[in-house]
Parts: sequence; C-alpha cells; structure tokens
Amino acid sequence: MANYSRRDFLKTAAIAGTAVTGLSSKTKAAPKNILSEDRMGVLVDTTVCIGCRKCEWACKTAHNLETPSIDTYDNRSVFNKMRRPNDKALTVVNEYHNNDQDKFPINVKVQCMHCDHPACVSACIVGAFSKQENGSVIWDTDKCIGCRYCMVACPFQVPAFEFSKALKPDIKKCDFCFERTKEGKLPACTEICPVEAITYGRREDLVKAAHQKIKNYPNRYINRVYGEYEVGGTSWIYLANKEFEKLDFPKLGKDPAPGVSEAIQHGIFAYFVPPVALYALLGGVMWINKNKKKTENETEI
Amino acid sequence: MKMKILITLFFCSLFVNAQTQKQVHPNLNGITCKTCHSCDIPTKENPCILPCPREKMVSIDQSPEDGPAVITIDKFKKQSDIYAPVVFSHRLHAEMSGMAGGCKMCHHYNPPGQVIGCSDCHELTRKRVDISKPDLKGAYHRLCMTCHRSWSGKTDCTECHQQNGAANKTQAQSLEDKSAKRVHPKIITPSTIKFDTPKASGKMVTFYHSQHIDLFGLECQSCHSNESCMKCHTKTQTASLKIKTTDQKHLLCASCHNTKTNCSSCHSDTVKEGFNHKELTGFDITKFHSKISCNICHHEKGKFTGLSKECINCHGKWTQANFQHKITGVVLDETHSALECSDCHQEKNYANPVCSNCHEDKSYPKNIPGKLVKKN
Repeated sequence: MANYSRRDFLKTAAIAGTAVTGLSSKTKAAPKNILSEDRMGVLVDTTVCIGCRKCEWACKTAHNLETPSIDTYDNRSVFNKMRRPNDKALTVVNEYHNNDQDKFPINVKVQCMHCDHPACVSACIVGAFSKQENGSVIWDTDKCIGCRYCMVACPFQVPAFEFSKALKPDIKKCDFCFERTKEGKLPACTEICPVEAITYGRREDLVKAAHQKIKNYPNRYINRVYGEYEVGGTSWIYLANKEFEKLDFPKLGKDPAPGVSEAIQHGIFAYFVPPVALYALLGGVMWINKNKKKTENETEI
Repeated sequence: MKMKILITLFFCSLFVNAQTQKQVHPNLNGITCKTCHSCDIPTKENPCILPCPREKMVSIDQSPEDGPAVITIDKFKKQSDIYAPVVFSHRLHAEMSGMAGGCKMCHHYNPPGQVIGCSDCHELTRKRVDISKPDLKGAYHRLCMTCHRSWSGKTDCTECHQQNGAANKTQAQSLEDKSAKRVHPKIITPSTIKFDTPKASGKMVTFYHSQHIDLFGLECQSCHSNESCMKCHTKTQTASLKIKTTDQKHLLCASCHNTKTNCSSCHSDTVKEGFNHKELTGFDITKFHSKISCNICHHEKGKFTGLSKECINCHGKWTQANFQHKITGVVLDETHSALECSDCHQEKNYANPVCSNCHEDKSYPKNIPGKLVKKN
C-alpha cells in the first residue's frame, strides 16, 4: 500500500463509477477481455512430486523473502502440520498419507491458482488486482488501499496480508513469477523442480497433456483434472491419485467465483431493495409502537 | 539428363533408407515401423516418433557388462547449479535391475537395436513446446527417485549429489574400480517353490518355477515386473521376502490361471506333480510341440480346454505337398512319397502306420518305408 492520497482515490473512484455506468454489461462479468488463448499455466502432478520443497526455496529466493539455507529443506518434519501460503512463503508443500504406501506419501504444492475469472480481481474496489495476458493474476502495490476484500473473496484463501508490518503492509501471494516470465525465464518453482512435477506450458496444452496422462495410466490417476473447470478454470491445474477433497482442495462449482459473489451482491442491492426493506421495517416498528402507545394512552384514560 | 539424375537420386534415397533401417534396427522381431513412427519414411531429421507410452512395448535386453561402467551425468551442468553432477554407477545399477525388468526399467520404449540414452528422447531445456514427456532433468530424477525412495524413503539431494565445489574427482574412479567385477550376484532361478497357504483344504501350492520359464515360455518380467530392491532386501541388505497379501499373490497367477473358482488346479493337500500335458489330456506335446508357447494352440485367453487332439484341428489337411515327412525322423523313399497320407496312416492322429494295405508280409517299425534320419 503506497501513499495514496484521498484526492487520487476519489479520482479513480470517479473514473470507475463512470466506467460502471457506461459499460455496465461488460464490467458485470469477470475481466474476460484479457483472457488470452495463449495464456500460460502449470500442470502439477502430485503423483510425481517427491516433497523436496526446493520450490519453496526457489520461490523465496526469487521474491527476496527471508530464505533459510537450502540444506534445511531436507527436514521432512515440517510436514507434520498442514501449512498454508502466507506473507512469508508464497508457496508451500504439504504431505498426505498415501493408502498403504508409506514410502510414497502424496505431496501437494499450494499457491495461488491464478483463476481465469479471478474473484480477487472482481472484489478489489480499486483495481489493484489484474489478470494478465500470460495468465498470471498480479497485484499492484501502488493501487492497493489495504481493504483486504481479496482475502475474503478468494475461493482458495490465498492472498495474505502482512499483519506484522505497521507501516505499508503488502498483500502477498504467488505472482506466477511475473517479472521473471517477462524476461523469458521460467517461474522459479518450475525451473528448480528436480522431477518436473510442475510443468510450465500453455494452459490449453497442459489440459490436453493431463487428460492424455489419465488415459495412459488409468491406475495412476483418478479421472479428474482439478482446476480445469473449478470456478471457471484456473491456470494451475492438478492431477492426483486420490479424491482432491481428501487432499484439502476446496470443493468448488464450475461457475466463476465472481459470478457467485456478484450475483449475491447485485441481487441484494438491486432496485434499492435494502433501503426500501430497511425503511419498511423501521416504519413497521414505528407503527406498532405508535399503536401500542395509543392503546396504553387509552387504557390510562 | 536432369531427369535421369533426379530419378537416380530418388532410387538412391530409397536404397539409403532401406539400408539405415537395417542398420538402426537390426532385430525388429515382427515389430512394424508404425509401432513407433507415424510417417511412412522416417528420417534422422524427422523421425516422426509416436508419443510414449507406445502401444507395443519395444525394448532391449543386454547384459550389464555391455553397458558403460560409470556415467557422469553432466549434460545440463551450469555454473550456477547448487549441486555437482551425479557420478552414476551404471553397471552396478544394471546388475541390480535383474529382478525388476532389466535394461527396460530405465531404457523404456527403447527401439530394437542399440540402447539409446535418455537425452535422445528427453529434451535438455525445460522451456519447450512438447510437454507430453518430462525434460531430461525431470526424467532422470523421476527414474532415480522411484527406487531410491522405496529404498530409503529419503529425498535428500545429497544422497546422490555433492554440493557444487565440494565435488570429489576420485569418486568416478572408485566407482569404476568397484564395477570392474560383478557386485550384485546374478539372480539364481529356483526350480520348485512350495507355498504353505492358510487355506483349510488344499494347503499346499507347488509352484514349478522352472516349468513356467522353460515349458510355458514366460519371461522373468512377465511376473517380476517393477519389483524394487525392497522385494528381496530390507534396509540392512539381508535378503528377506516381503509378505504379500493373498490377493496380491493370486493376482500374479490370475493372468493365466483362473484363481476365482478353480482352486484345485494349484492347491492340494500334498506336493503336486508338475504339469504334464500327456497325463492330463492324453496329448503328448514333448514330441513335436515342446518349443511352442501355450497360446499358439490355445487361442482363447485363460481357456485351455476343449481342443481336439486331431492334427487337422490346427494344421489343416495334410498332403504330401504341405507336409515334410522328414520331421518325423523318416525320409520316405520315392515310391512312398507319391502316396496319399491316408494310404498308410488310417488313424486321425497319424500314428502307427499300417503296411497291410499293400504289403502282406511287412509291418512298421520292422520295415521302414525309406530311411531313418535324426529328428529335428
């Protein structure tokens, strides 16, 4: 959150207001206008991941976060408790029990899914979030006012807030290595992964490759690609040998998350329903009270 | 003139193609080009290789001594790397793979002919167009980690790598010395294994291991596929058999045997005799049919009954023209080779020829209608 003057904010709000009135049909839906056909994605094969957590190390290094020595990442005791991405680690790997195969636990990398129709973009009232042409959902520190609506809106509960910082706290989340990919580099995690459990490529190709894998090895995978349709599709998609809900993936519908939240908001606030209802209620209360007083007065007499 | 040159060039190219096919794949074993290639004439520039896994598994089998002893995997070495290249004891690993599928455990989908390295299929760069197969770094690690995890459960990089800068140059030499002679003993094939099962009646299963290889023509990998070191070893390296569940045990046999209903074909209270086709069915296969596998005659999978013992059932009608009598050990003389088969062989199994149709005073095998030769 940068120094953002009241004047600037009002200016943006005014512009946004005009945009809403002018282009209401377009802005109602998620920003599909920048959903490129060639947008990139990552296919995470949880059956291949070995839980070495090198991605965590590479991510912290690439984002200039406080990074422990690489040797400490061999310590698997961190898997004893479930972790979530936070302001200090934009991606984390968790471990799950794999039926009767103790030696081959299931490791699941968690980070921002980079939704095709992101709820954070929709919820952000100042337009600090945006879905980029290359598929990444990024956040602009200069626009953010710290309302944290994004944290509430995200169906995967990914955006984190630097609560520890009193001054200029940031929203922290995986940015799909936006700066690195702009230079033609791979995202840090996909570059370091020793087993290529996370494959970087065009989302369309990845979905095809994922289905081919399921077809080739029907015993290895359950027949579902998580993120293909969830909340309207995500840039990061997952393969697993176990129901995704058992691996702590949220159970989500196929409708884009902004659609759901927007429908609720727009439904409630349409045709001045809340003010009318409120005034009707208050009016009702007044009328009852008035009647009560009247009867009380009458009995007194 | 130009035309002539072009035509000659065209034929030359065809010839070259035919040449290289034999050179590249000397032993095709009935596999067609289309098993691996999508185009009609694959070239080195455009091999048009079909994506793996291919429909038919194509692979090679070499002895560990034929491969390199030690390989330093430094194809993607970069200055910025955290870890130094792995010095891989290839021969030792090849020896160890004996029970688990041999060369093809790592060299999967290897075309017939010479063994090809990982980098021939797996791309060096991670940022690539074809994402259907892992890149080279991913491919290496996936193969290594499958066994190493089941062995130690560890994923520490330093189990195989040394940190960059601390690389020990003598590591390769010491591994080379170690691989000079066989480290892992050769797998010894047992002949008979007696299983004690918890089944109330039919407690014993006598498994004729050698028969399954020699008589039924099974490859080691038909049953022992993808078996890890942990199959025989515990971490302390003493060989001990891992206990399988009843279902797992049955699953191995179920590809050929009916394990659901036909218990008594394997289970009995005493040691069972080995498989004897003659005793069981009355048809002796040791004479002429010992070298062919079961499914040559028994086409239907899992069904081994109901086949007629008559030769005509598989071979069709025999005549002098399509039957080489030499194979029986008797080469017919001129007079007899002009006769119909049925003139002497009146039985449907073509056994016991009779001479009495023409000769009153002769009988087989006292008199031979030709000369005796050694059977093939």
